[in-house]
This record gives sequence, C-alpha cells and structure tokens, in this order.
Amino acid sequence: MSDQVNLTIDGVELSVPNGTLVVDAAKMIENPIPVFCYHPKMAPVGMCRMCLVEIGLPVRDRNSGEPVLNDDGTPQVSFRGLQTACTVQVSEGMVVRTTTEVVTKAREDVIEFLLTSHPLDCPICDKGGECPLQNLTMEHGKGTSRMDYSLKMKLDKHVPLGELIYLDRERCIQCGRCVRFQEEIVDDPVIRFHNRGRSLEIVTMSDPGFDSYWSGNTTDICPVGALTTADFRFGARPWELTPVATLSPHCPSGANMTFSTRREAKSGGRSVIKRIMPRQNEPVNEIWISDRDRFVHHFADAPDRLKKPLMRKNGQLVEVEWGEALDAVAGKLQQSGTAVAGLSGDRVSNEDMFLFQKLFRQGLKSHNIDLANRRLAGGDVVAKVGISQGSNLLNLGQGDAIVVIASDLHEEVPVWWLRVKQAAQRGAELVILNLRPTRLDECSRNVIHYQPGQAIATLRQLVNDAKVAAADADNSPIKAAADVIMQANNVVAFYGAEGLTYAETDAVARLLANLLLIKNEEAYAGRPNNGLIPVWPHNNTQGAWDMGIHPALEPGYKPAAKPGMRANEVYAAAQTGALKALFLLAADPIGDGLMAGRGQLDFLVVQELFLTETAAQADVVLPAQSWAEREGTFTSGERRVQRYYPAIQPVGEARPDWQILAQIGERVGLEKPAFAASLVFRDLAKAVPQYKGMDYRALARVEKQWPDVGGDDLYYGGNAYENRVGLGMQWPAAAESGAVDHFEVADVDSELPGKVVVVRTAALFTPGTLINHTELLQARMAQPTLIIQAADAAKLQLAQGEKVMVEVAGRGVETAVRLSEDTPEGVALLRGVPYQAGLTELKVMG
Amino acid sequence: MLLQEKYPEEIKGILARFPHKKSAVLPLMHLAQEAYGFTSREAMQEVAQILDLDPTHVLSLAGFYTLYYEEPVGKFVLEVCNDLACALRGADEFVQMASRKLDIPVDGTTNDGLFTLKTVMCLAACDRAPMLQCNLKFEEHLDEAKFDALISRLRAEAAAEKAEPSIVEQISAFAK
Repeated sequence: MSDQVNLTIDGVELSVPNGTLVVDAAKMIENPIPVFCYHPKMAPVGMCRMCLVEIGLPVRDRNSGEPVLNDDGTPQVSFRGLQTACTVQVSEGMVVRTTTEVVTKAREDVIEFLLTSHPLDCPICDKGGECPLQNLTMEHGKGTSRMDYSLKMKLDKHVPLGELIYLDRERCIQCGRCVRFQEEIVDDPVIRFHNRGRSLEIVTMSDPGFDSYWSGNTTDICPVGALTTADFRFGARPWELTPVATLSPHCPSGANMTFSTRREAKSGGRSVIKRIMPRQNEPVNEIWISDRDRFVHHFADAPDRLKKPLMRKNGQLVEVEWGEALDAVAGKLQQSGTAVAGLSGDRVSNEDMFLFQKLFRQGLKSHNIDLANRRLAGGDVVAKVGISQGSNLLNLGQGDAIVVIASDLHEEVPVWWLRVKQAAQRGAELVILNLRPTRLDECSRNVIHYQPGQAIATLRQLVNDAKVAAADADNSPIKAAADVIMQANNVVAFYGAEGLTYAETDAVARLLANLLLIKNEEAYAGRPNNGLIPVWPHNNTQGAWDMGIHPALEPGYKPAAKPGMRANEVYAAAQTGALKALFLLAADPIGDGLMAGRGQLDFLVVQELFLTETAAQADVVLPAQSWAEREGTFTSGERRVQRYYPAIQPVGEARPDWQILAQIGERVGLEKPAFAASLVFRDLAKAVPQYKGMDYRALARVEKQWPDVGGDDLYYGGNAYENRVGLGMQWPAAAESGAVDHFEVADVDSELPGKVVVVRTAALFTPGTLINHTELLQARMAQPTLIIQAADAAKLQLAQGEKVMVEVAGRGVETAVRLSEDTPEGVALLRGVPYQAGLTELKVMG
Repeated sequence: MLLQEKYPEEIKGILARFPHKKSAVLPLMHLAQEAYGFTSREAMQEVAQILDLDPTHVLSLAGFYTLYYEEPVGKFVLEVCNDLACALRGADEFVQMASRKLDIPVDGTTNDGLFTLKTVMCLAACDRAPMLQCNLKFEEHLDEAKFDALISRLRAEAAAEKAEPSIVEQISAFAK
C-alpha cells in the first residue's frame, strides 16, 4: 500500500499521508472543517458532531473489483450520509464535501443544539473574542434558535476546581478536551465527567483540587469559556491584549511562551502582564507549558523590585543616581587589582553573561569568573556529544532508547518529562537509573535503583556491559539495560544532579558520552535524535557554559591560559581577605547558604531584581530589568538559542543587565556600550564559534508548523499560540562534524557520610525568590518534608508528621517527617528545601 | 477503612474474578455503598485506594450510574418506574400515594432512616406496572394494599435486623 493517499475535498485534489484524518487533510489545504471536541494532539472521539461532512467512496464492481465509471468516464462515487471528519481516515479516491446544503444544515443544527445549554454570556466571558464557539457560531450558526430561553439550564458559574482553575458549568459544551488532555497527554486523570446529559459537569476529587502541574493548559484548549485560570479570570478582554513572545525564565527546556499584555490606567498607563500562554514550537514544548511557567510572572511587576541604584553611605544603603553608582563600581573594581571576582546566576541572558566575563577577562584582567551556584558539570562534554541539530524528542519512539540518570524530570523539567513519557508511549525504551523511584519508572521496563553512593559505579557497569556481547555477560538488570541501549536506533541521554556532587556529575556526563560514542564510527552521538541532554538547574545554564562563565573556559569553550578561582574558592577567599572585591550578577550566595557573609571583602556589588540577603550586605546594589522588560537570548539544554522580547516598560530606573555591564566596562577602559542587545549578540556570535551564523534576525525565523494551531481563522482560539517571531537555532555539537575521542573518567569515590544519608530532591514548586511572588501558588508550594522509610525512622526515633529541624546547606530548616516505603533503606529525602549537593549526613538539630 | 473491615473476603473474591484490578470498580462501589450507607467521598477514596485508581475516576462512575447514591439514603430504596408505559398504567398516581403514605417527597428519606422514595426510568417490567425495585429486588403488579403490605414487611425485617442487604448477597455469590 502506498504511503500517500489521493482524495478530493470540495473539488480540490490533494495527496496526504495514509492514516491522515479527513479533518487534518482539510486543514492542510486551509479549508478548515469546524470542530469543538477534536484536537490534533489527542485521539479523536467524535463527541461534538460539529465536523459532520459528506464523505463519498469510489464504487467498485463487485466481481472485478474495478472502479465503476460514470458515462463521462469519471469514477462513480457513493455518498453514505454525514460522517464526522475527525474520526474518518482518508482513503484512496475519497471525495469529501463540506459546503453542500446538507452539511450546512447539519452545522446549523449542531450549533443550535450546543447553544440550547449555553448561557450566551459572551459580553462577560473571558473567552469572548477568541472563542471557537463564538466564532463558529458566527460563521456556521443560523442566528436563531427554536429553544425557549426560559428552558435554559441554570448552573453554577464559579466552581473552583482547586484554587488555580475555575469551571463555569453553564458554558461547558462537554467536548471533553480537558478530561482527555489530563488523561491522554499528561497522565494526571484528576478531572472527569460526572453525571450525564445536561447535568454533566467536570469534577475533581484530588487534594488539592485539580492536582496537576499542567492544569493551565486545559484553559487554552477549552473551546469555550468554561475553564479559566484564577490568574486571568475577569482580567481583560482578549481583543485588548497584545501578544509578546517570550521564553520560560525558569526551565532549561526553553519553553516558548507568549505574554498577553495590556496598558492599564490603574497601573499609570503601564503595560501589564495579564497572562502567559504557550507559544507553539514543536521541537521544544509543542503547545504545552507547566503551571510554573504560566503563573510565575508576578515577580516582574512586584512592588518590592529594586527601582534605583543603592549605595552604602554611613552604613546605610541609600538611593543614588546611576552615574554615581557606576563610577563607584568601576573605581572600586579597578582599585582591587586582580583580587576581584565575578559570579553569575544562571538565569540571565547570553548577552549579559558575555559582557560579564568580558568585563572581568578584558576589562579587569581577571579569570575569577564562575557561576555562583554550580550544580551540574559537563557543559564541555555536551559541546561535543550533546543532542544533535535537527533533533526532536517527538521523533523518538519504537526502536529508540532514552536514558535518564540522577534526575526526577517530572519535578525538574516537566516539559521533558512529558516528551520522554510520550516517547515511551510510542514505543521507546526508557532506561532509568536513580537512587529512588520517580514518576518515569512506570513508563520503563529498565529501572535501576542504585544504592546511595553507587551512581558512578552503576553507570560504569552499564557502559562496560554495553561493550560486551549479550551472551558474554550475566543477565543482570544492568546488562539488560545495556543491551536495550546497544540495540536502539537512536539514544538520547538525560543526566541530572540528584544526590551527586559536582565532580560526580562530571563523571556521569563523561560516562554517558562514552556510551553514546561506544559504536565508534557508528556512534549515536552526532546523529539527529541522538545525544546528551543535561538537566540544567535553570533556564540559561547552557548559555553560561557557552559564554565562558567558567574560570577555565573562555567563550566558545576555549581553555583559559591561566584559570581563575572557582566559586567555592571565591567564597573562601572572601572570608580570608585574599579577595578584595566581588561582583554578583543575579546571584544570592548568602541566601543560598554558599557564602557565610561578606567576610573580609572591601567591596561587594550586587546586580539584582530584589534586595536579597546578599544585596542587603552589599556596598552597591544595581537594579536590573527582569526578562519581561527587555530582550535577549537564552540557550536551552538542547542548545537551542532563542530570543525573548520586551513586554512591559522598565520598573523604576532599572536597566538591562548587559547595558549596566557595558557601562561599567566603558569606565574600566572597554569600548562604548552597544545601543541594543542585538549588537551585543552580534559580538558574542563572533567570539563563540558555535554561534556562527546566528543573529537576531536568523533567530526570529519561523516556518509553518504542524499541527496548525495558530492563525487568523481562530480554529483553536486566541492570538498567543502562533509562533510569529522565532523558532530559535540549535548549535552543532562537535560530534556532528567529526570524530570525538572517548572521555577520560576520573575515579570519584564517594564515601557515605552517615548511616542515613540525606538526598535533596527537586519539587517544581520549591520556594524561591521568583515563585514566592506568585500569591496564587502559595498553597501548592512544596513544604519542607523529610521522607524516610519506617524502619529508618524508628531507628532515628522519628514519627510520621513530626516536625524536626534538619541542617540544609548549613542552615536549620524545620521539616515534617513523612514515612514512605518508596524511600530506599538508609536514605532520607528532603523535599521543598533549598538546594544542597551530594549526599550529606542527616543532622537532626535539637 | 470501613469497606475493608466489613467485607474483606468479598473484596478478595471480587478482585480474583478480574484480570485487571480496575475492572472490579463497579462491584466494589456497590459494597462500599453498603458499608458506608452511600457512595460518600470516603467510600470512593477507599475504593480508589484498593484499586490504585484516581479517586476522581470513581467519582465519575458514581455520577454516571444511577444506582450509586452520592447522598445518604434509607435502608430501603424504593425506586418506582414512572416511564411512559408505567405512567399509562398509573405509576404517577402510585408515586403520589407512596409519597403520601411515607410522608416524604420524591427523593426524600423517612425520619427513621428506613425508606427513600425515588422515581426511575424504565426497569423493563412495563407489563407488570405499577412496579418498583427495592434494593434491586422487583416488586410488581402493585396497588395501595400491596404497597402497605410491602412497607409492613420491610419494617418488620428492619426491626428483626434480618439478613444481609440483597446487594451483598448478590455480590458474594458473584465473587465465589
């Protein structure tokens, strides 16, 4: 059978892949068939009947099987009434009619029927203006109804499905998109239909209500105003909203999003972020974003943002003008000679980071430049064997393998969890190596839970087993996993840092790289849909590696002639007085428990959004603009460089990070500041060979994506989905253009620090500076919890629910004890607490 | 944990009947309804826990099927069919009479907690109308006298605390 099928829709002949649904085929030739329940990302159910069309099939002679022809020689076609275009697959010679009288009448009737239970409260409905029901009623409805208005159902209009999502029962047309999304796509079936017919409603029984990291997406795909977020509800009318493209400021997946902004009198004429919606980028996040990405934007407009530069005068931080602050910073940094250091957070843009290292390397002649909180190593390894250009996790399925080690993707990068889970559903084999059970385990037939301290040894065993033929080894689970990997067509490997020290993550990255290189000439690394993906802690950790925020690596991974101090050495030197001046860019090491205090520093400058613990101890505090106020680029864990755009006016006198750094640079003898971020990017693309060929214009390129969910026809509602301003560009890993040597792996022996070791685990809603500003999520925050099995708890005399003080990153944190037999013996998991690396001893404080 | 305390053997028997745990949800919900008196939130939570289901799934089934009561009901649920065929044979008048005699409206429960009166759609006994089902047992060819007799009998049964409710008997038989 041919892969392509020829059919005719409304007289237009087309050829589409076998298995295509009629509704999709029509969309491909931009002749959209109206739908409500159908969604291209989900299996069709044919519930709403809106897509009824006439479908005819060629008549064949019963004896000969030959097509029967009309007198004029055209094939005879037999029509069998109306069928739902969303459930019928195309077949050879099919003829579809969507404009006949009978189809038009059917559409009128379906609309009339749907509206019998609909309140028609469009003037006060959040969806009004971008509502598929409204639009399709205008286009296909009759305009009148035989329904007596007094017979309308009166139902609850403000039903909270938890505190994030509200249900308006009257507006619901029972398409089930939300229920199907939760079950089919994200496997959180916490909402369902209840009752039948006109009494049907969406219910949840989870605690908290609608307990899913993806709940907000149901409001996007709801074809009416039945589901709305508490964040946007009654906030603005869709036609007043301006779409501005942006990126997740949290997540290394680089999720594409759109701000919807509006200028408001009550905000003094300022543009205000009214909501965040996903923006389609099929290789990145398709059309889904997690609730963290959707709801954590309020920090940008928070009243406690820094608005003016602050300088310490007579022991107090007082507001000063920019000139004075910049002069002071430049002067003090220069006076300190080479006893200066710069530490950056991994949230700021590539432009910021590039100019930050330039200020130190070229302006101050110092290589003391590093990330303030380095958690995951292997950027240099990723540069060689990272996932290849043109890869898309959507392409992985039957015959492919995905390795995940030391990471709980569901909590760390939900978008990757979703895409890995879906690959497994398509048939990809998952090999999961973790210290403890995680949610991905249920999708995997190769789950290996290693003992604490055995991550490297287990992975080493896996790599060694992969080198030998199947028959030569024992049938251990590790060997079985190795065989799965070696038999796969494509291999993608994710690695994280759970329970690992920085040095151990480096060994993990190298071992995984060797696994990807094991077949030498036919290595997985370097081919599309293969390679390494680091589960970076933040949105632009990848960019930090690329830009040379590293004491030993200059931009583009060029080894520094004379490496500078690492972050931990900087913190130590600050205490002893060996370091005189420290510049912190978007980092709070005192608040994170990494630095005891400002110690013997002569001069501390902090560039920040908020007056953090560290900023409160600084000599100069420089107010930076948030990602919503400016433009820039982030690089995702898949090494995709993507642009984000300014959505709101700057808060106070805050300036973009890159501009502040350039203005300080000018004062220490570097060139004049560039006029725009795009020019900084042009410079950095020259300095970073991997970014060759990239500029703001190239990054803004778009191409048509499938499924077609955006567009002016409002097929799926709203102006936020369509990606108009950039799909980004991936930079090539070295393995794509040539052979890469196997990596040396250092012996990293980890000794267990105690009988019961503590492992800090990630939670999506872990308290932090940014997320704490979203009031709405406070009830969902991960509370500090110590999770331990009953036997270990008994030994330590801990009881379920008991509150204990434990030491986390050098500080006491009150945690609640939770007993769980999923926790391995000798391990205590700490959730909802600040980051802490590796395995530590469980210290219960008095 | 009322369900597991009351019917441990029945649960084991039901689970053994199905290749997938999930399939046991409907009989377990019947048992839970007996144990808790109705499919309360706790009842549904417990069923979900036994079967590793999301509780919302159980709630959804409770809403879909009319024989699961999400509000407390009496010991005996009298469900009178008043669909068209039965109505033609006087079902509506019969419901009014029953309502008057029990001194409760339709969907109400008597103060002693014994009887709940409901109307339902077709029970497939049109030729024997007026009829009702009482805890899944059909009572047919009814009139006022027969209704009085039925009520007296049920009151006597209740006073004597006789036997298991019929649904448990049926499910136990099924689970063997």
